[in-house]
Amino acid sequence: MPKVILESSDHETFTVEVEIAKMSTTIKTMLEDLGVNSVEGNEEKIPLPNVRGEILKLVIQWAQQHRDDPPLPEDDDSREKRTDDITQWDQDFLKVEQAILFDLILAANYLDIKGLLDVTCKTVANMIKGKTPEEIRRTFNIKNDFTPAEEEQIRKENEWCEEK
Amino acid sequence: MASPRPVNHGNKNHDLDQIWDDLKQGIEHVYDRRGMSKPRYMELYTHVYNYCTSVHQQGQPSGSLSSSVRSSASSVSRTSSRNRQTGGANGNHNSGAQFVGQELYKRLKDFLHEYLSKLIEQGETLMGEDVLTFYTKQWEEYRFSSKVLNGVCAYLNRHWVRRECDEGRKNVYEIYQLALVIWKETLFEKLHKQVTNAVLKLIERERNGEMINTSLVSGVIGSYVELGLEDDDQNCTTTPNANAGLNQRQGPQLGTYQKHFEQQFLEDTENFYANESMEFLHQNPVTEYMKKAEQRLSEEHKRVELYLHDSTLQRLMKTCETVLIQKQLDTLHNEFRSLLHAEKKDDLGRMYMLVARLDDALGEMRDHLESHICAQGLAALEELGETGGNDPKMYVTTILDVHKKYNKLVLTAFKNDSGFVAALDKACGKFINNNAVTKAAQSTQKSPELLARYCDLLLKKSNKNPEDQELEDTLNQVMIVFKYLEDKDVFQKFYSKMLANRLVSHMSASDEAESSMIGKLKHACGFEYTSKLQRMYQDIGLSKDLNDEFKNYLREKQDTLPLDFQIQVLSSGSWPFTQCVEFALPSELEHSVNKFNEFYNTKHSGRKLSWLYNRSKGDIVTNCFKNRYIFQASTFQMAVLLMFNSNDSYRVGELAEATKLKMDILVQVLQILFKARLLVPPNGENEDDLTADTVVTFFKEYKNKKLRVNINVPLKAEVKQEQEQTHQVIEEDRKILIQAAIVRIMKMRKVFKHQQLVAEVLNQLAARFNPRVQMIKKCIDILIEKDYLERTEGQKDTYSYLA
Repeated sequence: MPKVILESSDHETFTVEVEIAKMSTTIKTMLEDLGVNSVEGNEEKIPLPNVRGEILKLVIQWAQQHRDDPPLPEDDDSREKRTDDITQWDQDFLKVEQAILFDLILAANYLDIKGLLDVTCKTVANMIKGKTPEEIRRTFNIKNDFTPAEEEQIRKENEWCEEK
Repeated sequence: MASPRPVNHGNKNHDLDQIWDDLKQGIEHVYDRRGMSKPRYMELYTHVYNYCTSVHQQGQPSGSLSSSVRSSASSVSRTSSRNRQTGGANGNHNSGAQFVGQELYKRLKDFLHEYLSKLIEQGETLMGEDVLTFYTKQWEEYRFSSKVLNGVCAYLNRHWVRRECDEGRKNVYEIYQLALVIWKETLFEKLHKQVTNAVLKLIERERNGEMINTSLVSGVIGSYVELGLEDDDQNCTTTPNANAGLNQRQGPQLGTYQKHFEQQFLEDTENFYANESMEFLHQNPVTEYMKKAEQRLSEEHKRVELYLHDSTLQRLMKTCETVLIQKQLDTLHNEFRSLLHAEKKDDLGRMYMLVARLDDALGEMRDHLESHICAQGLAALEELGETGGNDPKMYVTTILDVHKKYNKLVLTAFKNDSGFVAALDKACGKFINNNAVTKAAQSTQKSPELLARYCDLLLKKSNKNPEDQELEDTLNQVMIVFKYLEDKDVFQKFYSKMLANRLVSHMSASDEAESSMIGKLKHACGFEYTSKLQRMYQDIGLSKDLNDEFKNYLREKQDTLPLDFQIQVLSSGSWPFTQCVEFALPSELEHSVNKFNEFYNTKHSGRKLSWLYNRSKGDIVTNCFKNRYIFQASTFQMAVLLMFNSNDSYRVGELAEATKLKMDILVQVLQILFKARLLVPPNGENEDDLTADTVVTFFKEYKNKKLRVNINVPLKAEVKQEQEQTHQVIEEDRKILIQAAIVRIMKMRKVFKHQQLVAEVLNQLAARFNPRVQMIKKCIDILIEKDYLERTEGQKDTYSYLA
């Protein structure tokens, strides 16, 4: 199995199978564009200047776990989106500090790994679900910068969707 | 909980100016087709990523998650984007992040414009093959570079472009599409006329027999097809699935290809072949032209496969067919006739294949074929002349030869096309039922009669009987002719008469062949048509058993007969035999007949046996000559001959008295015996002038080389009478069939117009014979008389059914 070397922003290197690396659409497209599928040229590192080693390691771990996943269906607005379909492995995997979770989201976005992006965002969504604005602010350490008048205005605008 | 730490570059606001110089350098690198390292590629990708994810909003809490992260998982993201939009429209409260990218998109666009404008300068003045070389080479390279650019800008595609498209903005494309659009707007727009012309020239050169570099053509065609991108009004082309990469359009849009190439190509094709056809036909025979056309059509077919778009195939073939075939139809039709006469199968086949390509164009050829076959058939039968009406074998084989020849032609040259098969059938139907032979006989019933006689020849025992398999084949051939007969009922009458004769006189060559033929007729015309034939066949079988039973009966009674005695009991309804003439059985035979009558009455009471003496025969053994002769004689002959056991000569009157035979029949019987030299008329007297007082004498010096002699020659009067009877019977049967049909129809319709009734009767009986309207009218009258129908009161020409 041919391998490639990935290099994180802090110059940590990871040797992974091409198949794993290609779960990142970004890397996959690059390999195709540059036509380097052959074994030679694999010495060349692939720098990923937006991902720290700590995060890259997790991303690779996740990719290895999910290497045999079937391809994700295309986005379809008519399809109901769910947040309760996270596998047990992913749930355990994502029991990490919030900062790490957010960095994983950014890395998934940068590397274009849709499966990872989906599951991390769903995790964040689950952190929001069922909470009051104040609780959400506390969870994510957000300062309330609305004036009371503004807040009233927004509440009115969104009245229609509140549960009675 | 601690505020999430920003990612490395995340916190920096990446101004476009900061990255553009380096990005542009990279892109130039790509379009210069120089190799690129992975780190460089990632660097460029990261530039675009950082630019697109940079936050330009004032007052955005630093370090919080950039909301430009797009995930399908969060329907929240959708709602928020809508809020952003309305918020944006209000001008304030713009708390979400912008999707950054517009400026980059614009600069990329400018870059491509500039790049292509320079490229045009290189190509503008080129002509012919040079422009093609230039165009295809540049196109391939541009396409490749643009794919790399698209990859580098993947993040821009996934975010800003997609968002723009989601919001219905026109004229925003993924970067690869953008590259194509710009190519089309600039380079293509400037050069396509030159390019298309050069391609068409190249194709024309190939049509003229030159070798060309087809990759130039296919390169251009490929480009034209791919450039057909934004024909529908869904201008914004993105791929919904970001993973799917580039260039996923919903099926090819062929507008550009059709407008800028195909249309002109088809016009050129038409002109080219219009000229070629005209010139070629001037200098060559039509047969050569057809070969040429065939070859041209297959060339054009290959042309599409080799280097044009598949969608052109149908239109191109249609164009070629119109100009090569349709326009020359008159010429072809004229040629068709002479080819038929000359029997040029290959050329006919070629013409068929060509004309069959057009819609509904075969009609005239079919008509020609029909009249040709008909004429050929008539001519062949006319050639038979007088013999035709007397030689069933010659007549039928002549018909079959014509049919076979043209059937083969239809099968091979015309690919058994149903229309041509119908033409063959129609022609055969015409000339078989109406030709020189039937005209000479003044009867359309001559054909069925001759065919039936031919069957008799085949099935009757003779020294020329063919082998089983050959016989079966010949019978199948007979069925071909049978199929075309109009008066199938006439055939049936003759056939049944001859079958009866074969059966009664044990002259069938093969039981198997007989029943096979009956089977074929049944298959062709149904159960009813052959029911009598089958019953006759059954009677013969039953009679065999009956003879055995009779023997047993005699044994039980301890009775014996003085001679071998065989009978056949035939049911009178099925057999076409007429009642016997008056006749007194000689005493030698009486005992046997009486015994059988007795036996039969015990077996079936109430059945009446009428003895058909005129059909009976026997062997008579002589003891009066030097040799012991055995004569196969009719019962009448036997009766006369047996009398000479007691006397050497009799007056004719005495013979008549004893046998009770009518004079005219007796005279014929005697004449045959004169011929056989068994009896002699008085010296010097003409054997035709027999009177009651003429004395006939037994000829004791009789000699014959053969010891077994058949003197049983059918009576002339009988033959003639039977033929007349057959025709009469046919007329009578037809009346019955017509009446039955009328009653069937009226029973269903209750009230029916005269014209419709006649039409339906004709229709129902067509499979059997063609009734004359006159006869149908007569039958209607008969039925009215018999109270089956009545004329409907107050309505003209209408009948009602009386239950």
